[in-house]
Formats: sequence, structure tokens, C-alpha cells
Amino acid sequence: MNMPPTQSVSTKKSSRLPRLPRLFGLHGQVVLVALVLLVIPWVGYTYVKAMEKLLRENQEQQVIAAARGIATALQDRPRLLELQGPSKKINEIKELQVTTPIPTAAEAEHTGELEPPKPLAPPAPPEPAPPATKVTDEIRVIVTGLARAGLRIWVIDTKLQLVATAGNLDNKQKYSGSAVSFGPLEKVVNIALEPLFKRMFPPPAHPEEEFIPNDVVFGGRELERALDGTPGLRRRAGPQGRNVILSAVHPVWVGDKVVGAVVVEENTDAIVSLGNRAFQQLAAVTLIAFAAAALVLLLFASRVSTRLRRLRDEAENAIDSQGRIQGLATAENANDEIGDLSRAFSTMLERLAQYNAHLEKLAQRLSHELRTPIAVVRSSLDNVKLHNMPQDVSVYVERAEGGLNRLETILTRMAEATRLEQAVRNEERTPFDAKAVLAGCVSGYGSNGGGAYPQCQFELTMTEQPVTLTGAPDLFAQMLDKLAANAADFATPGTPIAISLQREGNEAVLQFSNSGPPLPPEIADRLFDSMISVRKEASGENPHLGLGLYIVRLIAEFHGGRASARNLEGGGVMCEIRVPLDKAAL
Amino acid sequence: MPRRIAIVEDDPVIRANYADVLKKHGYDVIQHANRPEALAAMRTRLPDLVLLDIGLGDEVDGGFALCRELRALSGTLPIIFLTARDSDFDTVSGLRMGADDYVTKNMSLPHLLARVSALFRRADLAQQPAPSEDLLTRGPLQLDLQRFTVSWNSREVELTLTEFWMVHALAKFPGHVKNREQLMGEVHIVVDDSTITSHIKRIRRKFVAVDAAFDCIDTVYGLGYRWRAAA
Repeated sequence: MNMPPTQSVSTKKSSRLPRLPRLFGLHGQVVLVALVLLVIPWVGYTYVKAMEKLLRENQEQQVIAAARGIATALQDRPRLLELQGPSKKINEIKELQVTTPIPTAAEAEHTGELEPPKPLAPPAPPEPAPPATKVTDEIRVIVTGLARAGLRIWVIDTKLQLVATAGNLDNKQKYSGSAVSFGPLEKVVNIALEPLFKRMFPPPAHPEEEFIPNDVVFGGRELERALDGTPGLRRRAGPQGRNVILSAVHPVWVGDKVVGAVVVEENTDAIVSLGNRAFQQLAAVTLIAFAAAALVLLLFASRVSTRLRRLRDEAENAIDSQGRIQGLATAENANDEIGDLSRAFSTMLERLAQYNAHLEKLAQRLSHELRTPIAVVRSSLDNVKLHNMPQDVSVYVERAEGGLNRLETILTRMAEATRLEQAVRNEERTPFDAKAVLAGCVSGYGSNGGGAYPQCQFELTMTEQPVTLTGAPDLFAQMLDKLAANAADFATPGTPIAISLQREGNEAVLQFSNSGPPLPPEIADRLFDSMISVRKEASGENPHLGLGLYIVRLIAEFHGGRASARNLEGGGVMCEIRVPLDKAAL
Repeated sequence: MPRRIAIVEDDPVIRANYADVLKKHGYDVIQHANRPEALAAMRTRLPDLVLLDIGLGDEVDGGFALCRELRALSGTLPIIFLTARDSDFDTVSGLRMGADDYVTKNMSLPHLLARVSALFRRADLAQQPAPSEDLLTRGPLQLDLQRFTVSWNSREVELTLTEFWMVHALAKFPGHVKNREQLMGEVHIVVDDSTITSHIKRIRRKFVAVDAAFDCIDTVYGLGYRWRAAA
């Protein structure tokens, strides 16, 4: 049996991936996924916009209807406008106009056909009308009756003279009540985000314009068209430039003749504030939903990643530094994919462990299986030797026996580790004096008195303190024998092998140091594994299977300790065994 | 009349080789390949000695079973386990079944023959009441080198041949350390160190069974074992 060549020993390091900092761990990914939730505010925004548009159209229809209704009402009283007083009022207005600068906003709307715009009289409250005829009074009464808060109605005659106004655009009344509320949580968010909301959704400005701007009267083409007989609708910017004022114009017919026009104006504040409110609510709800969803997702991700991390750690620790398979510390029993993964890992490790056990038993099985054919060869040779052989034949028989003996040595060594594994399992532990065992063994190694390694020199240093260990002195001696054999094999001829036994804390530290070739780094941490050897050539009278240090490890572990080896700085190798001291003797 | 030796072994080549050697040394040899056949034959007529393999064809532990059955037939029939198995467990099991010795198949045939003749001698002399002259006495220890029997304080200690030879090797020169190789040489076995260790343990246990204060076998770590002369 060949031992594995050192080159084929794969390094353990390559199997362990370096842990990179993860930018997109599970948490990051979940947060990314949570961004999908941003579609909610977008959908909400679109919806609110559509609603707003619908409401505005509805409002437009209402305003137009109102204008038509008032015009119709005035139509029923044909004389009202015809009997309009002289154009004294226009003059008044014109005089006023001279002193008032033209509003810049109006200039853009100027068509040139119109007379210079004139400021209008203050929206005359219904009662204190300037000297008016009974007719205008009557119109005012009608109009006032139809006006309501937020709705401004004015009537002009064909000369663009203001006949009557009623109502104003200031609608203090707010939408309230029926909107769906999400309770205190929403309120909290609203309060927290109020400054932001104020900037994003400014509330409609109050007070409203109190005067009818000149450009409205003179600058609107709708007014002219209305006086030509076509009803129209116009949207114009409000005084703050943000809200929109709808003005519907409807001609007042008397027979075939247009005698004036009714203008009904309403601003869109209500809709704007409704929209704002909806947007605010949307923002708040989205924020709450987003936060809640993100929290839940993060918790979920944390749980999943914790489980995965635990699984990863367990998988990493499933095979210890000695290459032994430990199995998963805690098998997941969850009925999901991670549980499946964990179980798959367990199964895999189980199979790996079985395979390893099979490999470990292989030596035992091989030695057992080879014994029978060896017995055949040996008994046959023994039979041959019972006959008288010519000299040249007996030479070959001797050689055959020599080969057979070597084969048996190999088998014996292979079986030794197995037998030791069994022995270690059943051996009783008793306290013993490690110094006595070590001194006895070392005295048997050196050149003095025909020791086991006469070519080597052993230098033993031991602590003055007692070193009592718990275990089996026989096994301990066997471990010392293997360490000595290993050191003797690798020591540079003529250099001493240093053996030291010291106490460090609660441990006994046994060191075998020899000068000689260093350990190849890729094998250093597997030196104490079964069938690992750094010896270059495997033949010779003394076959090596790489089991000696494995036996050392087995015995060290039996004593509750551990074995390690490292290169010495000055060249050479040191094997170190650390074994806890007997507790009772401490 | 030549002595009859029964070989129970499932490998025909090994069986034939053993049979040839034994025949050449003047024994009558009967060969059996499996347990039922061997048992049937031996019920008819007991051989003088049995060489027994543990694994017999399909019966993994057939040899153990047969040994038990043979012991039931005769308490004195010498039985040697001859097997490829060398685990401590198998050795202990085999000896517990009442075998006189347990050797592995790598033992050379001359060494096996030595054991066979030693066992015959032991069996023969056991029937003679008169004590033999070839005795080795070390304090309470007495070895009968003819019968291969051991007594401690005049109480019999039942040792196998291997164990007997080990005790003899140690007790012959009290105070002298015998290393493992020397012990192996004395008992003609090639085993590893831990097998010697377990042999020594078994021997100690057997002496302790008759005298709890027994501590005459010293372990000299790194060297081997020695017989300590009793005070």
C-alpha cells in the first residue's frame, strides 16, 4: 500500500472562501425589494390627479350651468338691461382708470382692440350701490339671491359696464369629515411631516382677490364672445398665481339681441385643498405602509439570514480542524427550504462520515483480508522448506520469506492504529506520574545501554514540579515511543533530540524537538491525521504508513490533550503535546 | 497410534498446507470445511486436538460456536484458534470460549507444531498424578514446564500456552527486563506492541483473580516488563 504522496494533499485553506464584506446581503436585497412599494404612492398620485381632474370638470360644468341659469333668469326680465341707465358709470370708471396703473399680468392678454383697461370699482356689496336705478337694484337682488360663498357673480352690459356683482371668491368653508382617516398614527405622521407638507402642498391662499381685476373684464375674449352670443369658459390664474379661477360667461339674450353677459366665477381652492389633503394622506399612508412593510421585511430577512448564518457556521464547523466530521450541531426541523437545506447538509455529512468511517476501516479490512493469502504463502513456503532443496532454490525461498515478513510488518502497523482506536475506547483512566514514565522511556531510547535508537542522543529536561496525568501509562509510553521514533527518523545525524516536560498552568507540555528538514506547510496541520506522512521514500526494511503520529494524536486525545507540530526557527521540527493535569493532584 | 488432529478451516489451500505439515510430522489429520460437518464427525469420534478457524464459510463466528459445542463434548480436548483475526475482542472471545490458545495465521508452521506438541504434552501429563520434576519455583509462583501449568500459592492459574511462555520468560530471570521483541520471540508470535500489552494485562488479571495482592509483573516504560521477585 502506498501512502499518499505529499503533493496530492490538498490544502485546506483553498476550501475556505475569504469572507468579503457584502454590500448586497440579504438585508440590502430585501430593502431593494421593498422599493417596489414605491409604486403605491405613484398609483395613488395618479389616482388623486384623475380625481382632481374629474372634480374640476364637474366644477366647470356647474359653473357653466350656473352662468346659464342666471342668464336665463335675466332673460326673463328683458327690460332689466335695456333700461340700463346712461353710460355715466363708464366715465366714472374711465376716470378711475387714469390713476390706476395697468396690472402687468393683464398686458399679456391684451388684444389691442379693447379700450385701455380700467380698474373696476370695488366689488360693490349689494346694498351700497352707487346711484342706481331700480333696474340694477333688481338685478342685484336676483344675482345676490343666486350667489353663494365662493361663487362670484357679476353682470355686465354690452358696454362692458358692470351692472351688478354678488358673492365673493373667498370660500372659508373647508372640506372635512367624510375623508377616510387612518387614525392616530396618521396624525402623528402628519404632525411630523407638517413642514414638508406645507412646502409641497401649500394650502390655498386667503384672502381671495377682492376686486375683479381689470384684465378680467377687458382682457378676456370670452366676454366679447359672450356679448357676440357665445357662452364660454375661461380659466385664469388667481391673485397668488397658484390657484385657478374659473369664470363662465353666458350671454343674456333679449330676443335676438345680446343685452349683456353673466359671469360666474369660482375658484378651485376647494379642489386644490381636497387634492392636497388626499396627497398628504397618501404620503402619510404610504410612509406608514412603507415603514411597516420594510420593518416586516427586515425582520423576516433578519430571521432568514440568522438561520442561514447559523447553518453556514454549523456547516463550517461540521468538519473540525482534524478533518473529523462532527455533523450539524443543531439540525433545523423547520418545514421550509432552509430546513430542507439543513437536512440536506445533515444527510450529506452523514454520508461523508460513513465514507470516512469506511476509509478508516479500510486499513483494518485490508489487513484482515490480506492475512489469509499471506497465510497461504507462508504455509506453502513452510512446506517447501520441509523438503530437501538444492542450494540455489533455498535462496529464493529465503527471499520470498523476507518479502513476506515485510508485508506482515505493514499489515501489523496498519492494524496497530485500528487496535489502538479500539483500546482507547475501552481503556480505563487512572492517575499516573508522567515524569516517571517519560524518564523510563527516554532511558530506553538513547545510546546508553543498547537503546532503541543507538544512533541518536536524547536530552531530557523535566520540571521540578510533579506532573500527574489522568490516563493510561501504557498508552502514554506508546505515544512517547512514537514521538521518539518520529524525531529519530528526521533528526539530522549527530544532533541531539531535545525532550522537555513542563507545566504551564493546568497543562503538562511535552515537547520533542529535533533539528532537520522543516515540515511542508501544506501538511503541517494534517500531520497527525491517519496515513499522512512527509517521508519521501516509502520503501526499505521499515515501511512507513503515516500512522505513528496518528497514534500519537489518538493517545493525546485519550488523555484529554492535543498534539501539534511546528517548524523551529533555527531549522528543525517540534512536536508538542498538551495534556491537562490530573485535577485531583492540582 | 498416531494422534488425530482435526483442522476446521474453510480455505482449502491453507487447510491442505497445514494438513501436509502435520502429516509429515506423524499426525493423523482430518479436515473439515464447515461447522456442521466438523461437529457431526467429532460427535462420532473426538480427535486429540482441534485447529479451529473463526470464520467458517458463511458463518462469521462459526469457530466460536463450534468451540463452545466441543467444550460441551469434552472439557479437556485441546483447542487452538488459528485465525486471520487478531483484534483484542476476538482473542478474548476465543479464549473465553474455552480455547487453549489463540494464534494468528501468520505464525510459521514450525512454531505452530511446537504449540501442538506442547499442548499434547500438557494433555498427557495432566492425567498423571505424579508431579513432574521440571519445575520452576519463584516464591509463591510455580511453573510446571512439562505440563505447562502455573500455580500461585499452590492455586492453579489457568493460562494459555502463549501466556504460560510469557510468564516463563519473565520469571526465569527475575528483575531482568524483557522487552516486547524478546517476549514475542519467546512465544513465537509476531504482533504489535499493544497486543503484548494486552497479553500482559490478561496475565495480571488472571493472577489477581487468585490473589488480589499480586503485583509481580512490573511495567518498565520504554523498555518492557520484568518479574519482580516477591518479597
